[in-house]
Amino acid sequence: MSTNVQQRLWTVIIANTLASESEWLESQCESTPLELMTAFVAAPRHLRKTIVLLDHTEIDLPEWPEGVELIVKDWSLTRLCRVWLLIQLEQMDPTSFSKNIETLFDTAEINELVALYSALPVLPYPEKWLFRATEAVRSNMGLVFDAIAIQNPYPAQHFSEAAWNQLVLKTIFNDKPIHLLYGLQKRQNATLALTLSDFAHERWAAGRSVAPEVWRLTSPFMNERLLADMATLLASKVIENQWAAALACADSSYPPAHTLLAQHPDLERQVRSGAISWTNIEFNDLNTYVPQP
Amino acid sequence: MCLNPNEHSQNPSHFEDSDQQIAHPAHRDLAWADYRELIEGMTFFDPHIHMVSRTTDDYQAMRQAGIVALIEPAFWVGQPRTGLSSFKDYYSSLVGWERFRSSQFGIKHYCTMGLNSREANNEPLAEQVMEILPLYIYKEGVVGVGEIGFDDQTPAEEKYFRLQLELAKKAKLPVQIHTPHRDKKNGTERSMAIALEHGLDPSWVIVDHNNEETVKRVLDQGFWAAFTIYPFTKMGNERMVKVVEQYGPERIMVNSAADWGISDPLAIPKTAALMKMRGIPTETIRKVTYQNAIDAFGKSGQIDLNDFGDDTSQQEADKFHGNSILRGGQQLNPSKDSLVIQ
Repeated sequence: MSTNVQQRLWTVIIANTLASESEWLESQCESTPLELMTAFVAAPRHLRKTIVLLDHTEIDLPEWPEGVELIVKDWSLTRLCRVWLLIQLEQMDPTSFSKNIETLFDTAEINELVALYSALPVLPYPEKWLFRATEAVRSNMGLVFDAIAIQNPYPAQHFSEAAWNQLVLKTIFNDKPIHLLYGLQKRQNATLALTLSDFAHERWAAGRSVAPEVWRLTSPFMNERLLADMATLLASKVIENQWAAALACADSSYPPAHTLLAQHPDLERQVRSGAISWTNIEFNDLNTYVPQP
Repeated sequence: MCLNPNEHSQNPSHFEDSDQQIAHPAHRDLAWADYRELIEGMTFFDPHIHMVSRTTDDYQAMRQAGIVALIEPAFWVGQPRTGLSSFKDYYSSLVGWERFRSSQFGIKHYCTMGLNSREANNEPLAEQVMEILPLYIYKEGVVGVGEIGFDDQTPAEEKYFRLQLELAKKAKLPVQIHTPHRDKKNGTERSMAIALEHGLDPSWVIVDHNNEETVKRVLDQGFWAAFTIYPFTKMGNERMVKVVEQYGPERIMVNSAADWGISDPLAIPKTAALMKMRGIPTETIRKVTYQNAIDAFGKSGQIDLNDFGDDTSQQEADKFHGNSILRGGQQLNPSKDSLVIQ
């Protein structure tokens, strides 16, 4: 593992821990792998329940190595320190590392799973953890799902298209905000866009709604079928649906989409002027299961 | 059926088939709905309940009745386990899936970890379980080693009871002792004597499933005395009121031990209402239905009152991710009385 990753995490840890806490962490590195794994488990007994602050450390942080990144946002101190302990575990005993990680996964409680999934982007042999990562997508434990989905670079970097699409669809299904998925734009694809259309039709048939921002994934793949959905959205009483359709049409290179948008001159003007953008419909408190009046 | 306090020892244990349960249906003129306002605004802590066997209806009813936190002791699930993986997955569920399920209803979920006395008798398997147990007892939210102790009072049960007492000492965790259903008095005495022999501080040991016959000795020796309000086979709550009237609130706590048998996840709020009705002071009720359990299991350092509350899950989610872990639109209290399901 790159020394930069370690240094970067340690810099943030030092800025957020008491001396007693950082000393406890350092002392764990002089032990055995088993003791280090126990430290991973028992970390909340030695660390305060605080949230990591980055503001005062951002300037001096070492650069991430190419293709490796962690987004330490709204992390608990325990989560950060556990990720750091996992990196130490690899250094202490590289040959048993995979086995040890599997043991930790197999016996983990919720917050340990969160830390394990958070660490995937910086663990060696990233392809080894693909199955585990898709297991987190299958999890119905909210925090565990969030750990792989929300601001975690691992899926965008390593998931197949099918696995990625499952992640996006389950994020939508779980009423979680897709704009917090890392690499959302980069991994968009035609299959996903068309599946979204089917999904929306099911929701509409049930009298339920669809988070408007999901339509941002359709514009490069706009076709006759998706355009019919745009027409439906533009006719919606919910203004955010109209905005979503207008934005998706404007972003598209499909000429009929521009023709459709031109039939709504007010919306077209707002979109072209930048008065409305996708950020206006990035909601975090979605509630799409409540039937629409 | 009015339980005769002298008959309890002949009743079957809560994990055995009981035709008697059918033969003697409970009958009370007092309706819970008529008396629940007596505990309006009170909060409760159930230090013994097996939620893996309960439904979301139970979780909703518990939250509505004021239960803000609970402890799920590791126990036998009815079907004997045949392999280590079954134990591992069960332990993981106590700190994983069940903890999440509970959080969805705003109830903080803790657990105790241990090898139960029944399955201690399967020695080859018990050996393997003892090897993985240390992986679980240090986990966040594990507030004790339990429920451990005696069932048949076999040598194997004693062996693993002793080993787990040592484990609790090493991990600085309280111990939750399950006392046997048969030969209860001797089993309780023996459990306490062994705990003292191992040098455990009795103020770190919760002796569970007490009754009128065992409570005095438990309290006299400095242990916590827990009482399980469980229809037919354990304590009835009218008897519980009498126990509290006689012994007061110190070191006494009430639990439901609700599980896969006919049991009542609202045993604590119902008992509190009955106590209130019978004129027991509010502070006494608070101690035996909330505070004492927190004081006893809080010695683990794992109970944080800030985690209790109306929307614990929401607060935790906000803390860690800035977004809800609840699937939006999931109504926590859909109308049970409505014909229409949306």
